[in-house]
Amino acid sequence: MTRLIASAASALAPVCDGSTHCITCGDVAISMSVMRLDEERGLALCADDDGNSETVEIDLVAPVAPGDKILVHAGTAIASLPQEDAA
Amino acid sequence: MKHVDEFRDPVLGEALAGEILGLVEPGRHYKFMEVCGGHTHSIYKYGIDDLLPANVELVHGPGCPVCVIPMGRVDDGIALAHQPDVIFTCFGDMLRVPGSDGTLLDAKAEGADIRMVYSPLDALRIAKANPDRPVVFFAIGFETTAPSTALTLKRAKMEGVSNFFCMCNHVTIVPPLRALLDSPDLRLDGFIGPGHVSTVVGVRPFEFIPAEYNKPIAVAGFEPLDVLHAIHMILTQINEGRCEVENQYARVVPWEGNPRALQVMSEVFELRPHFEWRGMGFISQSGLKLSEAYADMDAEIEYTVPGIRVADPKACQCGEVLKGVIKPWECKVFGSGCTPERPIGTCMVSSEGACAAYYNYGRFAREREVV
Repeated sequence: MTRLIASAASALAPVCDGSTHCITCGDVAISMSVMRLDEERGLALCADDDGNSETVEIDLVAPVAPGDKILVHAGTAIASLPQEDAA
Repeated sequence: MKHVDEFRDPVLGEALAGEILGLVEPGRHYKFMEVCGGHTHSIYKYGIDDLLPANVELVHGPGCPVCVIPMGRVDDGIALAHQPDVIFTCFGDMLRVPGSDGTLLDAKAEGADIRMVYSPLDALRIAKANPDRPVVFFAIGFETTAPSTALTLKRAKMEGVSNFFCMCNHVTIVPPLRALLDSPDLRLDGFIGPGHVSTVVGVRPFEFIPAEYNKPIAVAGFEPLDVLHAIHMILTQINEGRCEVENQYARVVPWEGNPRALQVMSEVFELRPHFEWRGMGFISQSGLKLSEAYADMDAEIEYTVPGIRVADPKACQCGEVLKGVIKPWECKVFGSGCTPERPIGTCMVSSEGACAAYYNYGRFAREREVV
C-alpha cells in the first residue's frame, strides 16, 4: 500500500514542462535588480524583470547599491551586470 | 525593448546562421559539445540546431548536475531523510531522481520530512525555525552553485546554528571535461563553454583544452544569438588555424572569474580524492566535500549513510548521453519507458537534462541531409 501511495505521489509530482529552466540547476542564473539592502546581514531584497522579489546573498558582489543589476543563482549573486544588461 | 531582446533578434539570428553556413567546409563533419545543460535547453527551446548547416552537429555534455548524480548518492540522501527527526531539504529537481528503491518524493510519501527549497539560504531558514530538529541540505551543482552553499554554511557557523548539516554533492567542471577528452569513443571539434560556471571560475581553467587537446572553445551566454555567435567563433578559429579559449560572454564573465567566490569555496570545501559520476564512473578530484573547519556540519560525518555504489539501470543509457556518444532519442527507452513523468534516467528528470529537452521540444529521431 505504501508503495502504491508513493507511486501515486510520483504521478502527481509537478511535471517539468520545459518552458523554464530548473530553478536552481546547473548553469542557470537570472538578472535581478537590487531593491533594498541589509548590509549588516549581507543580504539584499532583489526583484526580477517580472517583479518577483527574493532575498539574495550579496557577499560575492559587494558593494552593491539599490538599482544595481546582479546575476543571481540559487539565492546568491554571483556577478555584477552592466546597468542595462538583462541577459 | 529589453536588453535581452537584442540577443533573441530573429533577423540577426538568420544573418549569423548565414555566416556560419559560409564558414563550414562542405563534406566535412563538425562536432561541437555544449558543455552545460543550460545551453542544451536554449538550443532546443529556440530551435538553434535547425538554423545550423546539417554538417554541424551539437552533442550534449555532462553539465547538468542533477543528471550526473549516481543512484548510490540518491540512496544515501533517502537514508538521511529517513533518520529520526531529520528535515531533509533539497532542490526540487532532485525529488524525482530515481535511486535504487524509489525517489525522494517516494520517501516523502512514506513519511520522511522532505522539503523543497529554492536556495541553501531557504534550508538555513528552516533550520533556524526548527532549532530542535536536525536539518540536512542535499547540496548539488557545479561551481555556479557551490559558492551559494559555501556562503550559507559560513552564515550558519557565524550565527551559531548548530542543527544545520550539509550532504555535499558539489562537483567541478574541469575533471569530467578532461575525462571526455581522454575518451576514445568521442571525437569532438570544439566546445561551447559553460557561461555561468565561468562567472565563478573564470575562463583560465579551460585553457588546457586548446593547449593539451588542440580543441577550440568559446565560453558562451545562453541567449540564442550567444550560442550562434559561439559556434561562429569556434568555426572561425578552425578556419584561421587558431586554437584557443575565447570569451563570447564577456559582458558577464570576467577572465579571472569571481575571486571572492573562489576564496569562500576554498575555505568551506576541499576536493574529494574521487567522486562517482553517473555513466562516467569515478573521476579523480571531481567532487567537493566539507573542509576540516566545517566537518561538524557534514551530514555524512554526523550520520552513517549506506555509501553503496549502485549500477545504473540496464535499460538506461544516460551515461552515453552525458558523454555525447548517443543522442537522447537513440536510447532504447527514450519516450517510451522513460518520460519526464516517469523517468528512468536522470537526463529525463531535469529540464536541463538532454533527454528532457529533446522530449519537451519534440526532438524525436530525425534524418538530415548532409550538405
